Amino acid sequence: MLTVTDLVVKRGARATLDGISLSVPAAGTLAVVGESGAGKSTLIAAILGLLKPATGVITWNGAPVRAARPALVMQEPRAAFNPALSLRRSVMEPIAAQGITLAEGRLERLCAGLELPLDLLDRRPAQVSIGQAQRAGILRALIAAPPLVLFDEPLSALDAVTQKHTARLIAEVQAEEGFAALIVTHDLGYAVAHGDRIMVLKDGQVEETADAQTFALSPRSPYCRALRDAAISLGALGAAA
Amino acid sequence: MTLSVTGLSEIRAGRTILHPTSLEIEPRGRIGLVGSSGSGKSTLGHALIDDLRAQGCSVAHVPQSPDEALDPLRSMAFHWREAEVALGLVPGSADQAGLFRALRIEGGDLRKRPWGWSRGMQQRFVIAMALIGSPDLIVLDEPTSALDPIVAAATMDLLSGFPDGKDTAMILITHDLGLAARRVARLLVMQAGRVVEEGRTADILDRPQTSAARALSAHRNWIALPC
Repeated sequence: MLTVTDLVVKRGARATLDGISLSVPAAGTLAVVGESGAGKSTLIAAILGLLKPATGVITWNGAPVRAARPALVMQEPRAAFNPALSLRRSVMEPIAAQGITLAEGRLERLCAGLELPLDLLDRRPAQVSIGQAQRAGILRALIAAPPLVLFDEPLSALDAVTQKHTARLIAEVQAEEGFAALIVTHDLGYAVAHGDRIMVLKDGQVEETADAQTFALSPRSPYCRALRDAAISLGALGAAA
Repeated sequence: MTLSVTGLSEIRAGRTILHPTSLEIEPRGRIGLVGSSGSGKSTLGHALIDDLRAQGCSVAHVPQSPDEALDPLRSMAFHWREAEVALGLVPGSADQAGLFRALRIEGGDLRKRPWGWSRGMQQRFVIAMALIGSPDLIVLDEPTSALDPIVAAATMDLLSGFPDGKDTAMILITHDLGLAARRVARLLVMQAGRVVEEGRTADILDRPQTSAARALSAHRNWIALPC
């Protein structure tokens, strides 16, 4: 279980994250939503230990998170890959780095689910579309069967239909392998459809944390209601009939 | 005036990415151009704009990325002035304050260059430039992709309401049928460089005929709220 307690991250004098507490159990999914600048990506960086919190404790089953070898799906799909290496080299890096053997057929099965032709992996990042690079990023994160996966806007570069297919593949792999998932997104529809719980961040603070269905039907704060209504207006959530 | 284009097509590297396509757009028409990535939506949008401009129509274009619309070496004030001059207006005569307020970018510093503004603000600045004057047609290519949901919804409401008392028609290019569903009266569904289905929005949502339209219709929401 991922546990974050009273996390404060400061940039200069300003707190970019101010007293965040959360937990994600194994096989559970927490969706973190909020506007740009709310601190969503900072939260991921803090969990990975990429920046040092001012105060607060972050653990995975009581131990430091790094020991669990968490995987990250990065926000900028092309920038997430070494431009000089083939996608295959980058995707297989977690396997090589951890010295594990890849189960037979795993790569093929994940690629099929992500609608990524296998021969595409022999290209470099610049030779594939942004949407393909994004799915290769998801492939790289899932390949070594990590216990914890952090997703930073994993579907942002995909079209509406591919988004849903990719989200379903992630959920299927999660159901089989039981990783804990923390998904940062500004798409409330995705958050409600695939999160067990939803946490809304605003200006570095937790505005509301709730069960996904409860949140969608009756958000408590005015800001969360505005967010829910915007998602309906944009067609991400089906309107009440 | 009804805008009309015939036989638009595009070939790139020997591959036909847009098969001959004809289109008529009524004054004040609201058309959605939907389809998955790579189906030819933006290509048709560009071909349409070039052809209509060659016919002498005024067409405003909001490209998918603000990078395509803004020169990184010029200030935002320069871009605005250039847009006004291009429309034959006296510089400073457009209702900049009103548009900026409606799009919630009134805090932007016009002396800065595009990269001094956030992505979302750049995109709304480009939308504001498109709303100066009264073009015959505005083509919006994924106008909400860089915006937060609350701002995106407000922007789409503004665009749907525009223009008061003008004949401007609008084409919304998107991969998201959910987004288009409440904004446009007529839909064109594209697949592999062709318009494969065309009709009233409600009809295509309820009774999609082609596989492309069925896929888009089935995936238009993440989840339907049971209330």
